[in-house]
Amino acid sequence: MKKILALVLALALALSLVACGGSKPAEETNSGSELAGTYDITVWCADAIVELTKQQIAAFNESNEDGITFNATVEAVGEGDAATQMITDVEAGGDLFCFAQDQFARLVQAGALNKLGVQASETVSAANDAGVVAAASINGELYAYPLTSDNGYFMYYDKSVIPEEDLDSLEKLVADCEAAGKYFSMETDTSAWYIASFFFGTGCESTWETDADGKFVSVKDTFNSPEGLIAVKGMKHLVDSPMYLSSSDGAGFDSGCAIVVTGTWAYETVAGILGDNLGATDLPSFEVDGQSYHMGSFNGCKLMGVKPQTDAAKSAALHKLAQYLTGEQGQMERFNAVAWGPSNLVDQANEAVQANPALAALLQQNQYSVPQGQIHGSWWDIAKVIGTDVENATDEAGLQAALDNYQAAISALFNMSEEQLNAWSVIGALCGTNWDTDFPMTETAEGTFQSEVLELKAGDELKCRQGASWDVNFPADNVVVEADGNYIVQLVVSGDSGEVTLIAQ
Amino acid sequence: MSNKRHMGLRASAHISNTLIYIVLVVMSVVWLIPFICIVLQSFRVESTWQVGYVIPQKWGWDNYVALWNSDFKRWYLNTFITALATAVGQTVFVLCMSYTLSRFRFKMRQGLMRFMLVLGMFPNMLAMIVLYRVLKDLGLTQANAVPGLILVYIASSGMGYYVSKGFFDTIPKSLDEAARVDGATRAQVLWKIILPLAKPIVIYTILTAFMAPWGDFVLARYISFGTSAGMNVAVGMYSWLQQDMIGQRYTMFCAGGVVVAIPVTILFMCLQKYYVEGVTGGAVKG
Amino acid sequence: MKTYNDLEYLRLSKGQKFLYRLVSFFAAIPVALKNGCLGIGRFFKNLAAAIGRELADIVLTFKNGDWKTRLSFLIMGFGSMARGQVLRGLLFLLFEAVFIFYMIMGGGHWLSLLSSLGRIGPHDEYSAVLDAYTKVYGDNSFKILLYGVLTIFFIIALVYTWRLNIKQNKIAEDILRSGKKLRSGKEDLKSMVDDQFHKTLLALPLTGIILFTVMPIIFMVLVAFTNYDGSHDGYNNALFTWVGLKNFRTMLTWSGSGVNYSATFGEILTWTLIWAFFATFTNYFLGMFVAMMINKKGIYLKKLWRTVLVLTIAIPQFISLLYVSKMFAKNGIVNGLLLDLGWITQAIDFMGSQANNALLPRVMVILINIWVGIPYLMLITTGILMNIPADLYESSRIDGANAWQQYTKITLPYMLFITGPYLLTSFTNNINNFNVIYLLTGGAPTNAAASGAAGSVGYTDLLITWLFKITMGAESQYYMASVIGILVFLVVAIISLVVYNVLPSIKNEEDFQ
Repeated sequence: MKKILALVLALALALSLVACGGSKPAEETNSGSELAGTYDITVWCADAIVELTKQQIAAFNESNEDGITFNATVEAVGEGDAATQMITDVEAGGDLFCFAQDQFARLVQAGALNKLGVQASETVSAANDAGVVAAASINGELYAYPLTSDNGYFMYYDKSVIPEEDLDSLEKLVADCEAAGKYFSMETDTSAWYIASFFFGTGCESTWETDADGKFVSVKDTFNSPEGLIAVKGMKHLVDSPMYLSSSDGAGFDSGCAIVVTGTWAYETVAGILGDNLGATDLPSFEVDGQSYHMGSFNGCKLMGVKPQTDAAKSAALHKLAQYLTGEQGQMERFNAVAWGPSNLVDQANEAVQANPALAALLQQNQYSVPQGQIHGSWWDIAKVIGTDVENATDEAGLQAALDNYQAAISALFNMSEEQLNAWSVIGALCGTNWDTDFPMTETAEGTFQSEVLELKAGDELKCRQGASWDVNFPADNVVVEADGNYIVQLVVSGDSGEVTLIAQ
Repeated sequence: MSNKRHMGLRASAHISNTLIYIVLVVMSVVWLIPFICIVLQSFRVESTWQVGYVIPQKWGWDNYVALWNSDFKRWYLNTFITALATAVGQTVFVLCMSYTLSRFRFKMRQGLMRFMLVLGMFPNMLAMIVLYRVLKDLGLTQANAVPGLILVYIASSGMGYYVSKGFFDTIPKSLDEAARVDGATRAQVLWKIILPLAKPIVIYTILTAFMAPWGDFVLARYISFGTSAGMNVAVGMYSWLQQDMIGQRYTMFCAGGVVVAIPVTILFMCLQKYYVEGVTGGAVKG
Repeated sequence: MKTYNDLEYLRLSKGQKFLYRLVSFFAAIPVALKNGCLGIGRFFKNLAAAIGRELADIVLTFKNGDWKTRLSFLIMGFGSMARGQVLRGLLFLLFEAVFIFYMIMGGGHWLSLLSSLGRIGPHDEYSAVLDAYTKVYGDNSFKILLYGVLTIFFIIALVYTWRLNIKQNKIAEDILRSGKKLRSGKEDLKSMVDDQFHKTLLALPLTGIILFTVMPIIFMVLVAFTNYDGSHDGYNNALFTWVGLKNFRTMLTWSGSGVNYSATFGEILTWTLIWAFFATFTNYFLGMFVAMMINKKGIYLKKLWRTVLVLTIAIPQFISLLYVSKMFAKNGIVNGLLLDLGWITQAIDFMGSQANNALLPRVMVILINIWVGIPYLMLITTGILMNIPADLYESSRIDGANAWQQYTKITLPYMLFITGPYLLTSFTNNINNFNVIYLLTGGAPTNAAASGAAGSVGYTDLLITWLFKITMGAESQYYMASVIGILVFLVVAIISLVVYNVLPSIKNEEDFQ
């Protein structure tokens, strides 16, 4: 009897196995060049534009000349959350999805973005502003469609409290707030995005490099510098004020704020509270040691991505739709419905757009802004700590310490010790690897490095590189192996040149 | 003399009782404040974002109306179905497991219990990724997340046998033996004799199983990702408190919270007696 | 160390007894380890012997068996069917058929790729006509690993069933030889609800546990030996593969610079243990205290007080905790109230979304956890308190004990004895208390130094929330999450082991019946 039970158990196990394991991914082989047809798709976009997007897709179905009909399910997925959701399972993610640009590199790395075709790339690059195009590209190739160009910040103020002539000076604004007993609100405690404002004002930069897969490989960061010290001094003046509040909530005008530094998305809220007293303008300048620095900002955007498809026709059709939704007309409709600032150059010149107080202020601020390129996801966490470090600092040494801490954390990101940075390795198409594996080399004499014995085949190609990056590598052209055999790869470095030889064993 | 001493005792008892009342009243206030605030905020009409005051300036049903017009209905129904099915399935599984481990002595019994104890020490967070993949291949994710979740909740529920095993242990074995002598099969013993006696623990199991799905957002979010039709209330409402939504949805969240809390609370209050028996028994047996 | 005999031990004071047990536990570790190793050795020796016996038995069965038995070696269940036990035979046969079907349909494929986890990655193809890229997918490492593991499960199940099938034949032959009758299918069915009832009862729950708990755990443990992460997800961007112990080395190498996995792990583990300690014991003592207050003679409205507290259990945590976290936010109600009252001039950052202010948020989560936990403990202790024999108190009062002495001499020892195991589970549950931390602070404030090297880390993060963030965060380092998961398991297991051996009130289970 025991056996029968065991059998039942085993059977249940077996059946579920079959149910699970039996379904191998079916290859779809529809490669017709005709796009006409009905496609079931899922579109992910922000809650606010779900209805609008449905209408736009319906309009596309009516108007397109290729005979494409989309059966679209539009889901509300926040733009800040899109990458996390996509990476859960790219296969089951939205076919079209909107996301904030800070997730771009992560999505490329995850293989969740389908590159734009050659012609589409040209059209999109020409029609949109350059900063946004750069934000959607890696190594000069476009991976997403620009949706907006309004992810920046500027200053809202209460006209009844702040006199217009003080708008250019941070110090005067702080004094005005203190006199009126109202808050100056800027989120420098908790958000690196806002903290960067001071650093950009003094000309600091944090520029990140990715490889073609979207993986971050290096950074040029000058936050810890004399200019950086000036920036934190300017910031110190603001955060030391008793009327300083760390927040970017437009609703703050409802609870005692006279100034809030935030973005276009807060416009409705602020307008609802302040009414005619609403003022919006670019950020002020701050003064350190008698010199004035205009506060900078990030200039970011939202993008729309197309998920990689196996069906060429569907892929092409989706790109057509994405181009339609993010085109001149689509962006204008979105501006009219929810006041999102367009990235399309024609739309940007539109009178209605220019008349929007929030967008006008953003445009004013744009001359001081830095395009938000690709930034490492951890940077936001690391840099935001500068805010509280500065607040807690009591003297200049404390301010400097804030920058030192920051730099230490940034260098740890790439997790490379001095030793690793100087180490040489062999890389190439050899031993079954394809330019993706480093074979370590050891220093046998001053300036001479040797690999282990490697089994090479005729036609294998290789190079030597330092620190597992391509910054320094030898020789200029790949070494090509002429005959099968066991070799040691030897590199002799002298000054700026290096010579690679294969020593047969 | 003795009289005086007696009076002193009474007076001190009086003082300590008064102190206790004060403490209890303060505690009640602290424990109730968040719930009172949620209710009050859910009736606030003048703004939808977070504010620094409690009493609304304008009262109204707007948030509840907005709730009715959103996907909340769907989420609520999803959660309710999940909770019901889980309550039934989980109770069956848990009772099978705990009754067997309490009443039968078989070769692998000790080993099985130890094995499940060790299994329970693994953080189950990571299993999520695997469960998602298995459910996906069964077609039970995203829009079909509800049956998928029910399957997962029920399938691993046998691990939670401890509390009810403790209860079965307290039912005298002599009852079983008497019935067996009278010719009843084991199944009849369970059905006719033990189950009627085990009413409190059955109700406890149903109650806890019913309440759990209302609060699960980690697994549920992963399984139903990006698809409103498959979400439960916790997943859907969690997104309302994210940075980009909280300004428009904060008061709706409060209203939703009230709507979710009411049935669960009423049910809980009605069955509180059994719940207390369950947790007490569980703790004693550990 | 001095060893006491029973009599000496009984004479020790409480503290000394505890210390003695603790010291003797650790002193016993080397011996236990040695015994453990010997035990493992013995186990393998026994295992080898058992396998030998089984094999011999199988061979003998074949040699001595009739043709029906011999054919059953190939066609499972044939012997049973031929001897009239059709039901059993069919089940055996069905299992074999399903197995073969499965192996042909995919099992063999998954198994063959298990050692490499796939060979061909995905790539893009450009169609100039359509001006669009399409993706050509290759192998799927995740599925290979998952179904590879499942297939191994299945094979083990088959071997076991095959062996049963053979044993079955032998038993049947023996029974027939002795002139008795075999059990009919009807009798088999009947025994399922009677003398074999426990197997019927366990079948479904155990299948569920194997498929939905054991299998995922095995999978995730295996992931610790691969490079499965956001940029090697096994299907959409690149395949992942086995990397041996590399991830454990990354986790355990102590480079001393303060910003690496090992240092971060140490830091978070310390806070996790501090948290678990406070979360467990504050709740325990305060809950007991509240229960005693409500139980006290002369206090009216007992039911009301209990009901008010119990409300927090009824309302789903995601509502109450999320709401409380918003109450304490910088622009929340609490700050608003304090500002209005003029008690503070600047909003206090209770939940520490502000960086580097670790202490306040840590205290806050412990305090709010008290709010969450007291009601449970109140319920639990109420029942137990009422079970303490009243005459104990009566006689102690006659002896002149005051309330405090009664508490320390009667109530507390009794409670500790009864709830010892509960305290232990409560402690380990708190180590893995995801909800409270995640819903209240989400781990904030950020620990910037650690965040560079070890994913996004905050000062209130427990190991479990850290693990979650590494999984869901920017890098999606599943392999590191898996390593952390294994370490969390070890921490919990070690604590449980130590406490089980030191705690006096781990009772013999049978005593209770």
